[in-house]
Amino acid sequence: MPATSGPLTPGLASFLKTLKTNHIDTSIDNLISLLKRRQIRHSRSCATATAYLLRGVISASRTNDANKLIERVQHVGRRLMAAQPREMVVGNIVRRVLGLIRDEAEDDREGDFNLSEAGSESQPQTPRGLDDPTDALSARHDGSDRGASRQPLPALTAAPISMFSLLSHPETEGSLPGTPVSASPSGRLLGHAPSKDIRAEVLDGISEIIDELTQVDDQIAAYALDHIHSNEIILTHTSSTTVQKFLLKAAAKRKFTVIHAEAFPNNHEATHATVSGANPHDDELLSTESFQKPLIALGITVILIPDSAVFALMSRVNKVILGTHSVLANGGLVASAGTRVIARAAKVHQTPVVVVSGVYKLSPVYPFDFDSLIEYGDASKVISYEDGDLVDQIDVQNPLYDYVPAELIDLYITNLGGHAPSYLYRIVSDHYRKEDISV
Amino acid sequence: MAAATSTSAKPFDIVATYNELLRSDPDLTMPIAAIEALVLLLTHSPSSTISETLDLLEKSTAHLKQSIPNPIGLSAGTDLFQRYLITTLQRPGQLGPAGDFNAIRAHLLSNGRLFIRRAKESRDKIAAFGRGFVRDGSTVLTNGGSRVVASLLQQAAGEKGGPSAVRFRVIYVLSPAKGDVEGSSAEPEGMETVRALREKGVPVATIPESAVAYSLGKADVVIVGAEGVVENGGIVSRMGTYQIGLLAKAMGKPFYVVAESHKFVRLYPLGQYDLPIEQRVIDFKTEEDVADEATQQQQQAQPTPNVKSPDSSDVVDYTPPHLISALITDSGVLTPSAVSEELIKIWF
Repeated sequence: MPATSGPLTPGLASFLKTLKTNHIDTSIDNLISLLKRRQIRHSRSCATATAYLLRGVISASRTNDANKLIERVQHVGRRLMAAQPREMVVGNIVRRVLGLIRDEAEDDREGDFNLSEAGSESQPQTPRGLDDPTDALSARHDGSDRGASRQPLPALTAAPISMFSLLSHPETEGSLPGTPVSASPSGRLLGHAPSKDIRAEVLDGISEIIDELTQVDDQIAAYALDHIHSNEIILTHTSSTTVQKFLLKAAAKRKFTVIHAEAFPNNHEATHATVSGANPHDDELLSTESFQKPLIALGITVILIPDSAVFALMSRVNKVILGTHSVLANGGLVASAGTRVIARAAKVHQTPVVVVSGVYKLSPVYPFDFDSLIEYGDASKVISYEDGDLVDQIDVQNPLYDYVPAELIDLYITNLGGHAPSYLYRIVSDHYRKEDISV
Repeated sequence: MAAATSTSAKPFDIVATYNELLRSDPDLTMPIAAIEALVLLLTHSPSSTISETLDLLEKSTAHLKQSIPNPIGLSAGTDLFQRYLITTLQRPGQLGPAGDFNAIRAHLLSNGRLFIRRAKESRDKIAAFGRGFVRDGSTVLTNGGSRVVASLLQQAAGEKGGPSAVRFRVIYVLSPAKGDVEGSSAEPEGMETVRALREKGVPVATIPESAVAYSLGKADVVIVGAEGVVENGGIVSRMGTYQIGLLAKAMGKPFYVVAESHKFVRLYPLGQYDLPIEQRVIDFKTEEDVADEATQQQQQAQPTPNVKSPDSSDVVDYTPPHLISALITDSGVLTPSAVSEELIKIWF
């Protein structure tokens, strides 16, 4: 489709390259088909592609009206999320961008009537998707949310508190005898011409998200020395770059042993490459880090084991450090297949399980149905089709992910620091607006 | 408001009002009835200063709590009401200290009905949130006569009016009918919900409490209601909920609690026997005591018909937070640890 793509294989790199030259609608379709064909996978690639695309969408829409921007982003977001519902980071980025727009729109309004009402009973007037009955609810709670998600605005701490919503001042049916009419001026202020360039502010915000995506591993790695001590034995799994950077950071100062489970059959080649340092350059996920030294180059003993040996070795392990695909609001996580076995084995041996993950992987989705989160992959990785006789007679399945419940995790380390799984709901409410949870 | 003439003749009885409210509207929860009773109290009292009003509220609340055998549920309502008054008065704005106290009074008095309506609406909101928990093909185990659970299940069953959109089954734990001579029908609490669900085409099995462990293997999820949600995220709920929670944990089934956020109580029970109510569930007796009691009863014949014995059907137990997978409230799906934050937000 795009003239510039040429020899590039379709993927994140080619997508980003064509984003500048193509019309934005072409790029949207392009990303949707890339997601559908799984030519962009891994949380970070998906997040980066989504963030860049939304930046393009915002800069291409020639409006300064927050409502129109929200509508546009919601529309694009829904299509992207529908293209690959299991890549939850896509939805996360969309929600964060929506939150950005709403925040900017509110900042704008606040300047207007902060003095009169202290924002107390005002409602954000941004339209929500009216398809959802829960929206009425979120409207009632916006105020307190706002206070939580935007720390730099002390004026908002006086906003109505959610448990009070029952008793609070009615906005529409408010017919108070003897009170000034200032109860609901908010609706009218919507029409005011914005005093600043919302679009530019939002674009800045998205650039910050993109920066966050590039820096997140280094930020997480900064906590490594607090968690890895000399002569410890660390067990890890898959070729997660976040984990590798975390270990490398600690390896610069301390000597420890790493036991690396190979994650057969979906990730073992990448894992072997990570351990030996012979990174294949075609793997786009690692392309930026492909010059990274392996742990062995820093004098760390790395033991590569098959997944089946995890339980046997767990009694010697001091700490399990895992990467993840996405983290859910209840503290559970979805990670590559085999993670749950490791977490469970660690639980049996009372070994602490630490999960390193960027905040961008944290999804406000509540896992109602664990089975639907798990993706099944190429069965030929388990038994190749050359074994035709066998494939005919048995049912081969290759699940790519595992759901790990919150009680098997001891600690999450994100770019914001370490958190207990039960605290994640707080980070979720800090990062996503309630009205965006169902986009 | 209309009864202003009778105030002088007959002093306002908050306990009677509270009981009357609960009786008149079966859909009313205890906290809301308490708030209503307090609003009515304000209409009947001519207090015009802030401290007078707060003092009156405090005294009446204490009186109400003392006269009701189990004040945990209602204390959520009275606390919320009191905090709301204080917070509103402290906040700048037209209802604040600078403003007119009569304005806030008028707001409260004129909107009593509105509170009730909102409380009922919050049930629908919860049902909308909770619908996701009832999946196609799943079996839900529930107990008691919780109105929120009932509305959640009915909404899941009755989407779009037609036959149940979600094909799910319900195992309903029924406690034996109350043997009391309360005049109420002898059918166990929850039968109404069972009938409503069956009418909508949802297969419902009713089991006794003793069959929970046996039946849990066939259930995918446990959903229960609560009388109060305490500070650590645990719940105070009808007797038998704790054991269902323990069994669900043992069997690895998710255990969800459905409760409106106005049921959050500022209470931190450390265990079953730490609740601020007296329940004579465990009552040790020897033959001598039994004989004593019998003679006493004979002497008194029909002594006090209106004093309800607390051991009837409203005994409660406490389910600690580690047994609860999530709380489905009108402010979203919360982990148990999020409850304390909601409470802290209104108290501090």
